[in-house]
Amino acid sequence: MKGLFKSKPRTPADVVRQTRDLLIYAQRSPDSRESKREEKMAELSKNIRELKCILYGNSESEPVSEACAQLTQEFFRENTLRLLIMCLPKLNLEARKDATQVVANLQRQQVHSKLIASDYLEANIDLMDVLIQGYGDTDMALHYGAMLRECIRHQSVARYVLESEHMKKFFDYIQLPNFDIAADAAATFKELMTRHKSTVADFLSKNYDWFFAEYNSKLLESSNYITRRQAVKLLGDILLDRSNSAVMTRYVSSRDNLRILMNLLRESSKSIQIEAFHVFKLFAANQNKPADIVGILVANRSKLLRLFADFKIDKEDEQFEADKAQVVREIAALEPKELS
Amino acid sequence: MAAHEVQKQEPSTSRKSPFPLAPTPTKSSMRSAPASAPSSTKPCVPPSTTRVVAIKSIDLDRSRSDFDAFRRETKTMSLLSHPNILSAHCSFTVDRRLWVVMPFMSAGSLQSIISSSFPNGLSEPCIAVILKETLNALSYLHDQGHLHRDIKAGNILMDSDGSVKLADFGVSASVYERNYLGTSSSLSSSTTSSYRLTDVAGTPYWMAPEVVHSHNGYGCKADIWSFGITALELAHGGPPLSNLPPSKSLLLKITKRFNFSDYEKHGGADKNKSKKFSKSFKDMVGLCLDQDPNKRPSAEKLLKHSFFKNCKGSDFLAKNVLGGLPSVEERFRVLGGLKSEDDEDEDESARERVKNRRISGWNFDEDGLHLNPVFPTESSDSVVDPTESASGSVVKMVRFGGETIIPLSSESHESCLSSPGRVAEEERGDESGESSLESNLSSLAGADSIAVGVDREAMVGGLTAFMRSLDEQRQNVGTLIGLLRGEEVGEVMMSREEQMGQVVDRLRVELENERERNFQLEMELEFLRIQISGAYTTTGSATGSID
Repeated sequence: MKGLFKSKPRTPADVVRQTRDLLIYAQRSPDSRESKREEKMAELSKNIRELKCILYGNSESEPVSEACAQLTQEFFRENTLRLLIMCLPKLNLEARKDATQVVANLQRQQVHSKLIASDYLEANIDLMDVLIQGYGDTDMALHYGAMLRECIRHQSVARYVLESEHMKKFFDYIQLPNFDIAADAAATFKELMTRHKSTVADFLSKNYDWFFAEYNSKLLESSNYITRRQAVKLLGDILLDRSNSAVMTRYVSSRDNLRILMNLLRESSKSIQIEAFHVFKLFAANQNKPADIVGILVANRSKLLRLFADFKIDKEDEQFEADKAQVVREIAALEPKELS
Repeated sequence: MAAHEVQKQEPSTSRKSPFPLAPTPTKSSMRSAPASAPSSTKPCVPPSTTRVVAIKSIDLDRSRSDFDAFRRETKTMSLLSHPNILSAHCSFTVDRRLWVVMPFMSAGSLQSIISSSFPNGLSEPCIAVILKETLNALSYLHDQGHLHRDIKAGNILMDSDGSVKLADFGVSASVYERNYLGTSSSLSSSTTSSYRLTDVAGTPYWMAPEVVHSHNGYGCKADIWSFGITALELAHGGPPLSNLPPSKSLLLKITKRFNFSDYEKHGGADKNKSKKFSKSFKDMVGLCLDQDPNKRPSAEKLLKHSFFKNCKGSDFLAKNVLGGLPSVEERFRVLGGLKSEDDEDEDESARERVKNRRISGWNFDEDGLHLNPVFPTESSDSVVDPTESASGSVVKMVRFGGETIIPLSSESHESCLSSPGRVAEEERGDESGESSLESNLSSLAGADSIAVGVDREAMVGGLTAFMRSLDEQRQNVGTLIGLLRGEEVGEVMMSREEQMGQVVDRLRVELENERERNFQLEMELEFLRIQISGAYTTTGSATGSID
C-alpha cells in the first residue's frame, strides 16, 4: 500500500488535500480505536512537514515558486487554515512548529501577484480572535503568537485587531510572568503600533483617551522594569513618527503625561532615563506649551537643569547632546505664564 | 542526573513546568555574581523540588536593544526539545534581570573539563561520543532551520552521568525568520535566493570562512565548520591557531585551507607531544573543514561517518572523563578564587562583545586591520572583563583578546620578567604587549604556568616558537602596510589585495549608509521642529494677542 503511494509523486495540491482530510479527522473527538488515531496523527505531522519542505526547500533543494503557488492556491481554496489553527493544540511540538512556519510563509506567497492569504483572512477574520487568545495559553502562546505577527502584516488584518476588543488585553499579555510569552506579546504589540502608519494614526486619534490612559497606568507606571522600559521606548517611537504628529501634539500638552515622564526621568535605570528623555524633549520643544505645562517645568526648573547637567550616555552621541542642549535652553528661558 | 531524567519524561507537547515563575527563596550553592557582571549562571535548588537547576541571570539594563535577542533566545530554548539540547524550564524577569532556568549540567562545559584535566586533549573514543551526541543535536537543529552559530567546546555541557547537551542559543538564528527581516511583503527575494544569513556572529576561532566573509551569506554548513574546529579543540586541548591573535587566525583560515598538518605547524609551542589519531577521525575532520561549504557534509550525513561507528555510550564518558574530575565548584575555586562566574558567563560576556562588534558595524576583515595586536595602540582602548584576567581563562581571554591583550596580562608580565626571553621582548619595543601574550599562550595550559610558577624550559621553547610566528607576522604587517601605501609587494599579494579592495568597498558603502541615515535623522528632526511650532502657529497667534 505504501509502496503504491510512493511510486507516484504527489503534487503540492495533493499534499494539501491530504493534510486537510487528516485535519478533519483530527478535529473529531477521539473514538475508541486509539491506535489508529496515533497512526493518523503521525501521518498528519508528516504531511505538515512536507508542506514546509515545499515552501522552504531543504538542505538539498531550493523552493520552487510554481509548487509554492500551487500549494498556496489549494490551501486557501478551502478552509485548511482554519482547520490547521483549530487543530494546532492537538499536534505535537514538532508539528506545531512546522505548522507555524507554514502559516507564516503562506502569508507572503503570491498567486498571480496577489496575496491571497489576505483575502482569505479578511473573510475569516474571526481566526484572529483565536490567535490573540492564544497568549492566554502557555502551551500555545508562542505558536499562535508567531502566526499572529505574520497575519498582521496585512493592513486589513492589523486594522481589525487594532479596533477589536482584544487590543485591551495586550496590556496584560505584555506583563505575563513567562518572559518568552510576554516578550512575544510585546513584539506583536509593537508591530501593531508601528507597522501600518496610516492605520495606526487613525486608530490613535479615534481611541486616544482610553488607549493612553491604559498605556500610562498599566505600562509606563508598571511595577515591572522591563514593561516600563519597553513601553517608554515604544512611546518614543510612536510619538516621533511623523504620521502620528497630531497625536504627539496632543500627548505633550497634558500635564499628567508630563508628570509620568518626569518620574521616568528620575528612574535609577540609565536605559529608562534615556528613553524617557526622548519623549520628555517633545514636551520641552513644544513651542506652544499650555500654561500648566510651563508651570510644572518652571517649578522644577532647577531640579531638571541639575539632572541634565550630569545626564550623559556612555557613547558619544552628537544628536543626543544637541537635543539635550536645546531642552536645557528651552527650560532655562521659560517664563511663568498666567492663565488668561 | 535527576534533572535530566525528569526532563526526558516530560511530554513534548506540554511545557508547563512545575517551577515557580518568581524568585522564591532558592538555595544557591555559590556566591552571587558581582554586580558588574552582565550575566551569571549558578546552580540553585528551587523550593518544593529536589532538582538542582542552573539559572542564567542576565542584566537587562546593560543591553540597549529592544530585547529582541533575548526574546529569540528564550523562545528558541523553550521550543526546542531534544535530549542533546539544553532547553529552558522557564524564564522570567526579576527586577532588572532576566532569569533563565535550565537543567543543571553538573560536570560543566567541555572547555572547562579540558582545561582543568585534559590540557592535551581527550582520547579518541571519548571525542567520538561527545561529537556524536553533538551531531545529534545539530542534525535536529538544522532540520528545524536553526543555526547554532557558536559551536565550540565551551558550549557543550556534560552532566554527571556523561550525557552531553549543546547549550547557549544566544546567537543562534532561524534561517526562515531572518530571511524575511529586511524584505517587505514581496516574495521575489525569498524565492530566488536561498535561506541564508549574512550577519557575522560566533566566536572567531570557530567561525567558518564564509561567515567571516559573510557578504555572500552562509547556511547550516557554517555550523559544520565550527563542529570540525571543535573536534580539533577536543583532540588538542584548544582550537587551532589559538596561539595567534584571532584576526590573524581569521586571515589564515581565509587564505588557505588548513588541516591537521597545518595545525601542527602553527600549533607552535606545545607540539612536542606526539599524538596519533586514527585515519577515520582525520578524514571526518577534514570533511568538516572544507573551504567550500557545499562540499561539507550535512550533520545527518556526518552521523553515518565511519568514525562514529562502534561509538561508546554516555556511561563510557562518565567513567573516562568524569572520574577524578574536580567538581565545577572546585574548578572555580582553582581558577583564582575571585570569580564567581561560570564559564558560560565568560562566553556570555564574550558573546556580547562579538555582538557588539557586529552592531557597531565592524567586520572581521576590518579587525584584521584595526585590531590586529601588531598595532599596540589599538589594543589599549578596550574594555577588560575582569573575569577573564584571571589565570584559568587565559585561553579564553585570548580568543576574544584581539583588543584586550595588554591590560590583561599583568600576572603574566611578572612571569615574563624572570624569563630569559625578556631581552628579546624589549628589543621588540612596542610589540611587547603582544609578546607577553604569546609567551603566555605558549604554555597553552595557561592556568598552570601561573599557579605553578615559571618553567624555564617551556618558556624558552615558547619564546622561540613565538619569535618564529612574530617574524611571520612582521612579514604580514609589512605587506599590509605596503598595501595601504599602495605599493606593490611581492607576487603573493593578488588575493590579499582583492580582499583589501573588498574591505574598502564595504567600508565605503557603510559610510555612505551612515551618512544617509544621519541626513534622514536630521530631516526628521527639522520636520518635527516645524511640526511643533507649526501646529501652534494658528492658535499661537490667537493666544499671543491675548497675552
